[in-house]
Amino acid sequence: MADYRQMWNDLGMDLESHDVLCNVLPVAFGDVYLSQENRPAAMDFWDMVVADVHGIRPAELIEAQKNGQKVFGTFCVYVPDEVVIAANGIVTGLCGGSDFWVPAGEAVLPKGTCPLIKASVGARLSKTCPFFRIADMYIGETTCDGKKKAWEILGKDVPMYIMDMPQMKREKDIVKWTEEIKDFSKMIQEFTGNEITPEKLAEAIKTINAKRAAMERVYNARKDKNIPISGKDALLMTQIAFFDDPVRCAQMCNRLADELEERNKNGISVFPAGTKRIMVSGTPMAIPNWKLHHIIETVGGAVVCEETCTGTRYFEGQVDETKTTLDEQYRAIAERYMGINCACFTPNTGRIDDIIRLAKEYQVDGVIDVNLKFCCLYDTEGYTVEEALKKEGIPVLGIETDYSDADAEQLRTRIEAFIEMLG
Amino acid sequence: MAKDINYYVLVTTYTEAMKIQAMLREGNIPSRISPTPHAIQGIVGCGVSILLLPEDLENARSYMDEHGAKYHSIVPLERQIDPRRIPHV
Repeated sequence: MADYRQMWNDLGMDLESHDVLCNVLPVAFGDVYLSQENRPAAMDFWDMVVADVHGIRPAELIEAQKNGQKVFGTFCVYVPDEVVIAANGIVTGLCGGSDFWVPAGEAVLPKGTCPLIKASVGARLSKTCPFFRIADMYIGETTCDGKKKAWEILGKDVPMYIMDMPQMKREKDIVKWTEEIKDFSKMIQEFTGNEITPEKLAEAIKTINAKRAAMERVYNARKDKNIPISGKDALLMTQIAFFDDPVRCAQMCNRLADELEERNKNGISVFPAGTKRIMVSGTPMAIPNWKLHHIIETVGGAVVCEETCTGTRYFEGQVDETKTTLDEQYRAIAERYMGINCACFTPNTGRIDDIIRLAKEYQVDGVIDVNLKFCCLYDTEGYTVEEALKKEGIPVLGIETDYSDADAEQLRTRIEAFIEMLG
Repeated sequence: MAKDINYYVLVTTYTEAMKIQAMLREGNIPSRISPTPHAIQGIVGCGVSILLLPEDLENARSYMDEHGAKYHSIVPLERQIDPRRIPHV
């Protein structure tokens, strides 16, 4: 099947409006990705996925639904995929990274809401995202006030289940999150009609651990002085990981890691020697938000690490595989996910420690701390991030941006000056 | 001018595109998987195509024909790629 118009029509999508998006995506992908030279051959897989991003994977999901599987759309790295997989469910990411969806979001949300939330709600309401038409249920969480209110609006249009995130990381918060995961598991079992046993959950934990390990291998290859892959390509891998089948994702990431490790052995770099190594920290970059990486990598920098939810926060840390009872397994899952250092927590010193550690591990010359406009949490935490980096003698540039291109030239100038300043 | 033209190998399914890409890689012929530009997508309807540069066109065509690659056509199109543009999707 190559022409997906019938499928989109059956999903109740607004084809005319969707065509507008389909027309601009190939241009942007060409400018950002196909303009690069000497890319790893393994990126062919991700190029193919993006070329038909609203066709290939949605068709697979629909086929799985015909075979009785349920699809759960998620918005955040705190939702434990393991539980869904153990009940033979499928997890998919949702659209939320394009300016195209923002106006439809602004029709129901305040303009002063972050673009990720506006685009997510807009993607559903404008009927231009197949993933938002396919999912049987949507899993929200309480990681910020904007999302909490958005779920109430979205919940009028789609079935939503909300996981209540703790705001602190004390023992009683881990206990609370464990209970929240148990409630989630109960709902998933009822909704799918499939019982979760310790054996099934153990298998699911291994599957998701293997996916995370494969992604980490790719990132580890980026720690080398040689730069075997662009930041843009690594970002694409992570963005697609939210949508893909976890077993295939692990296979593809491992294949890419094999190639990158070989490149490092042979000194094959995608950037000239001396290119400044940049770490991006802050808010997530949902597909197709490639703006900042593209600017950095076209003004003399190379992104070697993302301390974001579309980066290290997605895959660092594993769930303990040694537990054998459901109670122990849920606790192990809770501990792993509570190890993610999102700005929604207070205090959040763990994130500052992560940033300093990652800056050293990836041998960065400078950090660009980015927050999406109106993301109060990451914006406020930026003060502490910058203070800590300066104390360590690591140059840092704070950036606030959104999905529009209105600030593109200004950003280009600022980032170019920052990279020049790195010497 | 030849340098301003890109060539797109059009196929009917993404699996065919991946087979051809693997074949061209085996033959050490530079090529990339690409989204099919809107201007030519109506020809076969598949969103995935193979992008070739002018200097690689004839080698690629011969190699694909020799190895029995299944494709619809090869379409020239003025170069669409401009890395100076900031992506705005």
